[in-house]
Amino acid sequence: MEILSPVWPAPAVAPARKRRPRGLQGATIALVDDNLDIPFTTHLEELLSTRFGVRVRRLVKPSGTAPSPKDLIEDAGAGADAAVVGIGL
Amino acid sequence: MHLISERIAVDDYEDAMELVFARGWTDGLPVVLPTARRVEALIAHVGRDAQESLGPVPPRGGEATIEKLAINAVMGGCRPEHFPVVLAAMEALLDPAHNLNGVSQTTHMCVPLVIVNGPIARELGFNSRDGVFGNGYRANAAVGRGVRLALWNLGGAVPWDTDKATLSHPGEYAFCIAEEEEDNPWLPLHVERGCAPGSDAVTVFACEGPHSVFCYGTPEEMLHVLTDSLCALGNNNIHVLGQTLVTLNPLNAEEFARRGWTKQDVRQYLWEHARRPLAEVRACGVIHDQFRRMERDAGRYPLRYDLDNPTTRVPVTPRPEDIHIVVAGGRSYFAAVLPGWGGFGGFAVTRPVRRAR
Repeated sequence: MEILSPVWPAPAVAPARKRRPRGLQGATIALVDDNLDIPFTTHLEELLSTRFGVRVRRLVKPSGTAPSPKDLIEDAGAGADAAVVGIGL
Repeated sequence: MHLISERIAVDDYEDAMELVFARGWTDGLPVVLPTARRVEALIAHVGRDAQESLGPVPPRGGEATIEKLAINAVMGGCRPEHFPVVLAAMEALLDPAHNLNGVSQTTHMCVPLVIVNGPIARELGFNSRDGVFGNGYRANAAVGRGVRLALWNLGGAVPWDTDKATLSHPGEYAFCIAEEEEDNPWLPLHVERGCAPGSDAVTVFACEGPHSVFCYGTPEEMLHVLTDSLCALGNNNIHVLGQTLVTLNPLNAEEFARRGWTKQDVRQYLWEHARRPLAEVRACGVIHDQFRRMERDAGRYPLRYDLDNPTTRVPVTPRPEDIHIVVAGGRSYFAAVLPGWGGFGGFAVTRPVRRAR
């Protein structure tokens, strides 16, 4: 007998990824603020900056419960070496 | 009929069932095996192009093609005649107003409830009476589970991955009811929401499981207990508004109507009285206040409520019409409230059921 797959097939070619930075010192990190736990995000920003020497670019989502707008994703991707996303509760 | 999904050859029923579990295609319960013959029967019934897509299903973005939805509906136990109801529910869930992306991934326990209205509910044997949120009825179970499996397999709403629900609730397996329209003195939900009387429709609303409300007596007595149940401090609604659902049983509704209360009267009363002073709400903690301010900044919390005044009495929804009222269940003592996710999403969306051609 045969059965049919209920899932959508994975893309044949994985999307391109940026090269992972060698370290955090001097790196630019986009910190995507989900607008949910703001004190936690602020604490993380301070830690990245003071303890690890990161240049933090904090980008704020309009809503923590809906996807980031396309321009925010593109901004994070183009203007940083890596991004911190998905800070939920 | 040309189907494009991968076909997997298996020796027998037992091997097929184990393969379904091994590939992570089911939610923990066994499924009906999606053979081509069964899947084709569903697609033929609705007469739609198998590769027509209703859109990507968040968060993973698998396409909700008629073929993939039929496969998942078969797995959930649907017969061909159930499939139009599944499609209407999926169309509603994929409306951006519902924010399925957030609903599927939130730490909150909301799950989209599928509410079926119209003659099709009775024709297909949906339960709208005693035990309406429970088990025992194929139509409720199969449509509810067919929808859930589509969210699982196409949306990737899986608890060890993207579904971050802290506790969730059993409706993750199947969460589907019909409204009782015969033993109901008021307009049914879908007609209130703009559908023609006598038409078939599905409404989805993401909510917690039903909270029992011991609701019996005069309208004033029933409203007294309903208002208290609606504005419990544990609900998201009292903190960040959004929408909520009240399920009255037919005896409740009859008693209200007999004393001259329309559904709108009940809704208005609940909206005006299911409130708490802000001091009580703020005593729940800083994070609740933070959410409330975020909602205000996002334009979802009306500015007329002074969030700096502890005596402000805050409602559970921004407008009376955000309290949905459905009549269902047995003629007895109990109603239910089903709080929503708050102002973050999961809002009610209604879509007509397109009958088979």
